[in-house]
Amino acid sequence: MDYIHLTISELHDAYVAHKVTPLEVVKSIFEEIGDDKDNAFEYLCKQEAISKAEKLKEVQKENLFWGIPYVLKDNFSTKDIPTCASSNILEGYIPVYNATVYQKLEDSDAILIGKATLDELAMGGSGTSGHKGKTYNPYDPSHQYMIGGSSCGSANACASGLVPFAIGSDTGDSVRKPASFAGLVGFKPTWGRISRYGLFPFAPSLDHVAYFTRSVKDAASVLTLLSGHDEHDTTSSTSEVKDYVSLINGDIKGYKVAVIDEVIESMTDSDVISRFNETLKILESLGASIHHVHMDLDLLKAIYPTYNIISCAEATSNNANLDGIKFGLRENGKTYDEIVTNSRTKGFSQLIKRRFVIGGYSLLRENQEDLFIRAQKCRHLIVDKFSEILKEYDVIYLPASPSCAPKFDNASDTLSDEYLICDNYLAYANFGGFPSLTLPIGFKGNLPYGANFTSAIFAEEKVLNISLALENKLGYYNLYAKGEKK
Amino acid sequence: MLEAVIGLEIHIEMKTKSKMFSSGPVQYGDETNTNVTVYDLGFPGVLPTVNKGAVINAIRVCHALHMEIDPVLRFDRKNYFYSDLPKGYQITQYFKPIGKNGYLTINTSSGEHKIEIERLHIEEDTAKQLHSYDCTLIDYNRCGTPLIEIVSKPQIHSSEEAMKYIDEIRSIVSFLDVSDGKMEEGSLRCDVNISVHEKGSNEFGTRVEIKNLNSIMNVEKVLDYEFERQCKCLETGEPIIQETRRFDEASKTTQPMRNKTDAVDYKYYPEANILPVKLDEAFIYEAIRTSNELASSKLKRYLESGLSEYDANILISDKDLSNYFDNIVQNGVSYKLSANWLIGDISAVLNKEDISITKFPLSPDQIAEIISLIESGKINNKQGREIFAKILENNTLSITELASEFNKGMISESDELLKIINEVLDENEQSIIDYKAGRDKALGYLMGQVMKKTGGKVNPKDTNSLLLEELKRR
Repeated sequence: MDYIHLTISELHDAYVAHKVTPLEVVKSIFEEIGDDKDNAFEYLCKQEAISKAEKLKEVQKENLFWGIPYVLKDNFSTKDIPTCASSNILEGYIPVYNATVYQKLEDSDAILIGKATLDELAMGGSGTSGHKGKTYNPYDPSHQYMIGGSSCGSANACASGLVPFAIGSDTGDSVRKPASFAGLVGFKPTWGRISRYGLFPFAPSLDHVAYFTRSVKDAASVLTLLSGHDEHDTTSSTSEVKDYVSLINGDIKGYKVAVIDEVIESMTDSDVISRFNETLKILESLGASIHHVHMDLDLLKAIYPTYNIISCAEATSNNANLDGIKFGLRENGKTYDEIVTNSRTKGFSQLIKRRFVIGGYSLLRENQEDLFIRAQKCRHLIVDKFSEILKEYDVIYLPASPSCAPKFDNASDTLSDEYLICDNYLAYANFGGFPSLTLPIGFKGNLPYGANFTSAIFAEEKVLNISLALENKLGYYNLYAKGEKK
Repeated sequence: MLEAVIGLEIHIEMKTKSKMFSSGPVQYGDETNTNVTVYDLGFPGVLPTVNKGAVINAIRVCHALHMEIDPVLRFDRKNYFYSDLPKGYQITQYFKPIGKNGYLTINTSSGEHKIEIERLHIEEDTAKQLHSYDCTLIDYNRCGTPLIEIVSKPQIHSSEEAMKYIDEIRSIVSFLDVSDGKMEEGSLRCDVNISVHEKGSNEFGTRVEIKNLNSIMNVEKVLDYEFERQCKCLETGEPIIQETRRFDEASKTTQPMRNKTDAVDYKYYPEANILPVKLDEAFIYEAIRTSNELASSKLKRYLESGLSEYDANILISDKDLSNYFDNIVQNGVSYKLSANWLIGDISAVLNKEDISITKFPLSPDQIAEIISLIESGKINNKQGREIFAKILENNTLSITELASEFNKGMISESDELLKIINEVLDENEQSIIDYKAGRDKALGYLMGQVMKKTGGKVNPKDTNSLLLEELKRR
């Protein structure tokens, strides 16, 4: 039997029933990865994983994550395991400490299979800008369609069924967008719910640890494992960690679901719109009520530029430690200034430099009021509006992307409403720190696409519960690329 | 008349156990690059955690400087590339300093001056650089050490005032145990800015900044030199350039370093990795309540307890000396006697051995024990000194035992003493007449006679009271 395409809870049951061992599972995963033709990995932890699996003999019934394979996006600090965030600037960098998320997974005896590719330093949404080039969508063996990013490698590993869950990070939509293109559950909990200690920062006020699973219940289990206050991250919440799996049953009678019409109206793909409308009917049939709410178009269009200014500004500062002096790539130079200039010139791609320039420019004394501070004010307005909606309704429900995965050469039209709104609106959940989950709702040809539920902060169980209800009804449970539905 | 307008920025390194935002230890003088954590080196993914002790320190200094304390603690980032700054940014408080609008009173030869203080903020120190002719070595031990920066308003008008101001700040942070406040070790560092204008005018001259002065003497030299230089510029019509200058110790002059057009834009913005911290009233109150007594308050107490201004000022010139003093008088002995011992006999030992009071082998309690024996008349001053010398040589000796040795053979029976007193009185009738006539000297003479007869083996206090009683009867 095929054991590597199971969900977390299925694989756990198989371990408990002694049908398979972690070592057998790990070995078949590495066989399946082969030469990584989709470019999902920066580093494969083959030896580490096998030696760990060899030690896992006595199955722990109470420990769901015992022997469960997973991958980490390569922007989490993993002691003794090379970590470069898909950037040349971190070439050869081997971290000396563990990210809290990784430590928790290690402590639970989950098995790290490898470090997954990303858009360089998690900046980007296409899965094309890592230093090793494009990461492919496993639903498209012809390699023409993107998987999205920045958590492209994690999405790929989970969507090809190699691992039942994969850790990523989400600053604008870096897990929730690729989840849509890869037919996965992609979940970003409340800001502060999961410690960010050891996550390479892009823009800390927007950065979230997020992850992919192939079932909503698995998403609930991973949340319970990773959540909680961490003394190393003082922004991590002290609020109680719940047993989310036991809190969800798919009963959504009485749920008030808000749909923002302006987002739908910005879309052009009628197939996706009609499928989305079908899911509204399903939700209604399950006892939820659908409410069409309106939002100022200017406010929606402002999400993307606001995101751009804030994230780029924070990014320039957060990546200033990458100077070639202490770790990573070091270019020659006679003085400190020369080493820094040469290392950063060579180490970062043009796209990254462009972001740094935008960020630095918007923070300059003479521009700050006009750009950075204005973006902060805009962020407040946007968060206030969405919070208002989430006060009245349990969740906001919208398509997670304008359509299925686009082709690599189909550059988005930056001037269209679709691009400005539907393709980039998900960042609102980063602005407000709202828990936000994407799950598959349909296919266009071979390619999946998803929709997104978002709730008020710390209402994770609502998002998970309504997602479970829809997953049950749609049957998009444990989707993966090879063989599609199990 | 031309007048200098001076503002001071003082950086103070706190002597907390750990760093401002990491668990790295703070210890001056440790082996280089040993007190360093992943945070201090700016490894990817590290996050800051605020040092509560440092915040308490800052609150105490704010209070001592009569400042308004912001009830919400907020941090910002200052962004620039420099080899002493591994993260590429420094966490500081730019937009909302913890303290603002305070003042400090200083006494100079021209009288009392109130210098207003604009702000006090918390930040992290950078790494220490050692420049050699062909390379720069970096010691990251200092990186992340908690700092407070105190910015005065430009209300200082002479090098004397500046020195007094710095000295007063040094005293405050030292008495509060916030910092060693040692300029020579870099735990107190000073940047000055100075301009010159016509006294009384509302117009100000062009400002020149001189950074990183490492001794109070250099502050004086720099300010005197710059004042002269700028006055000369005004006289000769040479323009004063807005710039940063450095002090050249060899030539005792200031030299241009960089001008305003090179000024760095630090791109300040709020630190997202530290959420604003509400400092509730009780927390602030407790920090202040439990803070050490300042020199100014000690001075007041000493004067009220009868110390001379001279003695009191010596004691408060050194925090450790005054703490030692307070620990003596805490035993209930006299302020005056304690000050005499500390400033006299003990200081003599310190000078001879060239040690500080913290290294003095005898405890304040031991000194108090000697003083108490003298006060009760069980021994006299001379004997006290002998005991002091003996226990200095051998600290295991018991003061009580040493004192009782002096008392051996003492005439303690009052009958015997009474007999001797009456003998003396019988032999000196003229002195009795003099005493009754109000001549106090006569009493001293009679005491002397008793001492002579007993060979000094009596308790002077008891003898004195017995003698007075007998005199009354005659």
